[in-house]
Amino acid sequence: MALKQVSSNKCFEGFQKVFEHDSAELKCKMKFGIYLPPKAETAKCPVLYWLSGLTCTEQNFITKAAFHQAAAEHGLIVVAPDTSPRGCNIEGEDESWDFGTGAGFYVDATEDPWKTNYRMYSYVKDELPKLINANFPTDPERMSVFGHSMGGHGALILALKNPGKYKSVSAFAPICNPIQCQWGKKALGGYLGSDVSKWEAYDATQLVKSYPDSNLDILIDQGKDDQFLSAGQLLPDNFIAACTERKIPVVFRLQQGYDHSYFFIATFINDHIKHHAKYLNA
Amino acid sequence: MSSRSGSAKDCETSDQTPSRSASSPVPESSDTEAEGLIFYHMDLYGSKERFDIFPEEPSCQEERSLGDTRRESAESASSSEKFQHSQEAGYDLEKEVAELAKMYGLDEDREKELELLGRHVESRWPPARTEKAGSQGSVYTASKSSSPVKDQSQSTKKQGLPSEASQDEDQSKARAEDEAESPIWSKEGLSSGSVSDEWNSQAVSEEEEAADVFCCTCKTPIRAFDKLFGEHKDHEVAQLPSAVESEKEETHKNMCKLEEQIAQLENFASHLEEIFITVEENFGRQEQNFEVHYNDAVQVLAQKYEEQLEALGEEKRQKLETLYGQLVSCGEHLDTCKELTDTTQELCRENDKANFMKAAVTMVDRLGEFLKKEVNLELSTLPDFEERHIDFSEVEQLMNSINTIPAPCAPVISPQAPNAATGTSLRVCWGLFSDDTVEYYQLCYKPVSNERHSDEQAEHTLKVKETYCTISNLLPNTQYEFWASALNASGISPPSEREVYVTAPSPPIIKTKKILSCENAALVCWESGDINPVDSYMVELSKLTDEENGDTVTESIVGIPNCEVLIHLQPRQSYHICVRALNLGGSSERSEPVLIHTTGTYFCLNEDTAHPLLAILDDGFTIACDQLENPECDLPVYDNSFTRCIGILGSLIPFPGKHYWEVEVEEDTEYRIGVAFENTPRHAYLGANNSSWCMRHIITPSRHKYEFLHSGMTPDIRITLPPRRIGILLHYENCRLSFFNADIAQHLYTFNSHFQHYVHPCFALETPGILRIHSGIAVPPWAALP
Repeated sequence: MALKQVSSNKCFEGFQKVFEHDSAELKCKMKFGIYLPPKAETAKCPVLYWLSGLTCTEQNFITKAAFHQAAAEHGLIVVAPDTSPRGCNIEGEDESWDFGTGAGFYVDATEDPWKTNYRMYSYVKDELPKLINANFPTDPERMSVFGHSMGGHGALILALKNPGKYKSVSAFAPICNPIQCQWGKKALGGYLGSDVSKWEAYDATQLVKSYPDSNLDILIDQGKDDQFLSAGQLLPDNFIAACTERKIPVVFRLQQGYDHSYFFIATFINDHIKHHAKYLNA
Repeated sequence: MSSRSGSAKDCETSDQTPSRSASSPVPESSDTEAEGLIFYHMDLYGSKERFDIFPEEPSCQEERSLGDTRRESAESASSSEKFQHSQEAGYDLEKEVAELAKMYGLDEDREKELELLGRHVESRWPPARTEKAGSQGSVYTASKSSSPVKDQSQSTKKQGLPSEASQDEDQSKARAEDEAESPIWSKEGLSSGSVSDEWNSQAVSEEEEAADVFCCTCKTPIRAFDKLFGEHKDHEVAQLPSAVESEKEETHKNMCKLEEQIAQLENFASHLEEIFITVEENFGRQEQNFEVHYNDAVQVLAQKYEEQLEALGEEKRQKLETLYGQLVSCGEHLDTCKELTDTTQELCRENDKANFMKAAVTMVDRLGEFLKKEVNLELSTLPDFEERHIDFSEVEQLMNSINTIPAPCAPVISPQAPNAATGTSLRVCWGLFSDDTVEYYQLCYKPVSNERHSDEQAEHTLKVKETYCTISNLLPNTQYEFWASALNASGISPPSEREVYVTAPSPPIIKTKKILSCENAALVCWESGDINPVDSYMVELSKLTDEENGDTVTESIVGIPNCEVLIHLQPRQSYHICVRALNLGGSSERSEPVLIHTTGTYFCLNEDTAHPLLAILDDGFTIACDQLENPECDLPVYDNSFTRCIGILGSLIPFPGKHYWEVEVEEDTEYRIGVAFENTPRHAYLGANNSSWCMRHIITPSRHKYEFLHSGMTPDIRITLPPRRIGILLHYENCRLSFFNADIAQHLYTFNSHFQHYVHPCFALETPGILRIHSGIAVPPWAALP
C-alpha cells in the first residue's frame, strides 16, 4: 500500500497533493487527490470524500471545484479518488464514456469481465479510507461523503448503505434513481447483470425505503437548467418523494439557471463544505 | 569670615588691659576655626593667671603677613561685629554676616586670609610635636600648633572679652558655620566641641604652665602644679577635659530647658493673643448692647419727662385760669357792694320823705336781694400741684433687660444637603451666626406651589430644640419651602430666608413585560413613579452567582435621562436589575428588581402590530388565529397593525450580534415567519417586499411547500421532513438570517442580506392555527457555526 506522490501544490496554506498507489481491490494503479488543510499539520482532521461524475478523473474536482478555501477554513481533509479502475485491459472498457473507464458507478461488479477490477464501491468504502487513515493525520471516526452526478449517486448509496459510517452526505445533481434512468440501466446491467432486484442495492431511492433511521442530514443542489435533469437521468423527485415518505430529512435546492457543470459545483461548494463541517466538526 | 576678622581686629586693636584679658578665658584653640567654641569656656576658664601667659608666648612676627591682612579686613569688619553683638540670642547671624561681608567688600580679603591661614596651618602640622602633651591623652598630642597659630589663639582669646556667654556662643556658632564653608576649615572637622577642646588643652600644655586640671572648689582651671603646692592644694580637682564635658552637658541641658521655655512662652503668647481678640470681641458686643439699651432707656426717660412736663404745665394753666376767674367775680362783687353803699348813702341824704320812702323800699329790696347772695370766699383751687403717678415700669424693664439676653437674630437655614431626603422625608438644617441664646426654634414649611390660593392652608409650623429636624410624611419628588425663627425669653427672631428643599422621587416601576435582552445586552424601560419630572435615573446591576443572591450591586449606570436604557451584559449570566430615580434631593428607593438571564435573545410581541384576527394567548408568546374572515368586520384596527397579513411583529433588542429564537408549528399550519423592519408595510404580506424576510409554509395538494421569501422571490427548495420546530438565527455581523429544523439541527435556508437597520421578528398565520414562540434560549452549537 505504498503511496507515491505525483504532485504537491501549496494552496490556502495547506497542500493539494496527488498520490498513486497499487489498489488491492481494483488490481490496478489508482490515483487520488488529497487536500491537506493547514490544520492537518498540527491536528487530526476529519475526512470528506468527494466522488466525481462520469468521465472524470481525480483532477476535475481538485482543479475546478474551488473548494480549497472552505476546506482550509473548516480544517477538512478532502479526498478525491478516480472514478474507475484504469488500464485493466478489459475489452470494451474504453468504448463508451458512460460505461467502463471513468464510469465505475461506485458498485462492486459481479459480472465478467468487470468483477475483478470494477469494485469501486469497496474501494471507496474500505480500501481508500484505510489507506488515507494510515498515511495522513485523520480522525477515522469522522468522515463524510459527497459527490456530483454519478458521484452524487455514489455518495448517497454509500451513506444509505452504511448508516452511521458517514456523518453527513450531500450531492450535486446526483443520479438519484439509477434503476429508472438510461445511465443507470446501462451501467448496473453491465456490472451486475440483468437481475433488476440486484440493482436496487445500489439505488438511492430504493435504499431510502429501507433506511433505518433519520439521523442523516442530506443536502442536494440541483441546477434547474441541467440538461440531464430534463433528460430524466437524475430523477431527484423520486428520491425526494421517497425521503418525504420515509421522513428522511433532505433539503433539496433547485438552483435557477444552473447546469450540470463544475461552474455550478463551484458556486455552491461552500454551502456543502459547511454542511459537512457542521457535522464533522460538531 | 568677616566676623572672624572682626575678632582678630578686636584683639589686636583693643587696649589689652589685664582685666579684660583676665576675663577672657583661657588659651583658646590655636585655630580660628575653634574660636566659635571658645566662648563656652569663657567663664569656666576665667582665671586671671592665664593672662600672664600670653605675653610670654612667642610673638606673632612669624605671622606678620597674615596679621596684616587680617588687620585690614578686621577694621572694616569691626562694625559688623558690633552689629552682631546687638543681636538677640538665637538669632541666626550667618546670613547677616555674609551680607555685611559682601557689603564691605570683604570677600576678597577673606579668601586671601583663608589661603594664608590654610597654608600656614597645613605647613605647620606635619612637624607635630608630641613632647608637650604631658598628662593629656594621646589625642591632644597628636598634633600641635606652633607659634603662629598661638598668635591667633592669643588674639582670639581677647575677642571674647566684652560679650556675654550666651550671646557669644550663638555668634560664634554662626561664625563656625560660616567658616565651615571654607574647604580648609571643613577639613579640620568643622570645629566640633571636642576638637576645640583638644586644641585648648594642647595650647595650654604647650606652655607647661597652662591649666590642665580643674579645681572643683574654686570652679576654675588650674595647673596641676597648683594642686600640689598652690592655693588649691587641698581642693578637689578633676581632669580638665572631663570637667569641660560635664559643664558642656550642663549647659546643653540648660539650653534645652530654655528652648522648651521659649516654645511654651510662644504658645502662651499666641494663646494670649487669641484671648485678647476674644475679649475685644466680647466687650465690643457688650458695649454695643449697652449702647442700644441705654439709648432706649434714655429715650424712654426723655419721653416720660416731656409727658410729665406737659401735664404739669396744663395743670398749672388750669389752676391759674380758675383763680383768675374767681378774682374777676370777686372784683365784680366788690363793685356792686360799693355801688350799693353809694346809692344807700345818697338815699339817706334825701330830704323829701316821700321820695325817700319810695326809694328806700326799692333800695331795701335790692339790698336784701344782694345780701341774700352768698359770697364765696373759698379758694376754688389749691395752689399745690396734684400728686401724679409716674410710670417707670417701662424704664425698669428696659434697665433690667440690659443685663438679660437679647432676642435672637434670624437663623440661617442651610441649603439641602446630599442624601438629606427620602421619598417622604427631609432633614432640614439651620444655624445661628451669632452667639444668641435660643430656647427653641420655630420651623415652618409649605409645599412650593404655583397655585396661590393653596398657600395658606398648607403651611406647617414645628417647635424644634435642635438646629435640625427631619420632617416626614411628605410627598415624593416635591419641593418644600422651609424657614425658621429662633426664640428665647426676650422674644422671637425675624424669620430666616426661605430655602427650598425637595424630596426624593418615588421608585420607578420597571415595565417587566417590555424587557428585551440578548446574550450581551438588555433593554430595560420603566415608568416614573412621580408626576413631576426627575433629573435622571440610575440603574443598578447585581450579577447573580451561586453564592450570592443579588444583594451586591456589581455595576451602576448613572445619568440616564430617559425611562429606557440599553445595558451591556456578559453572556450566560443572570442579573438583578433595579432602577432608581434621582433629583436634587437624592435618589429614590430601588424599584422592584427584575431578573434578566443573558442565555439568549429574549423579545416580546408588539401587540400594537397584531392583525385584528390574530390573538395573543395568555402566555404572551402563543399567537392564534381562529378564522380567516371576520363576519362582523368591525374589529378594531390600530394604526400600526397589519391589515392584510394576519401577522404580528415582535420587539427585538436593537443590539448587534446573534439572535436566535424558535417557533413551534403544527404540521398542517400555514405560516410565514422571519424578520422585518419596524416600518414594513402593514398592508403587504410578509416576504413580499424588500423590508421583510421570511420562511413560508404552504400545503399544496401534493406536498408541503416551503418558500423563503424576500421581495416576493423565493428559491426553489424542497424539504422532505416538515419541521415542527423552526430555529431562526439572525446574525447581523455575518449578514445572515438562517432557518433550521431545530429538532434535527437541519439547516434549511440562509438569507444573505446586509440589514441596514435593526429588524424585528415577524409571525403570520395563513390558515387557522397557532404558533408557539420560544425566545430567551441559547444559540444551539450547530447553528452557531461560522
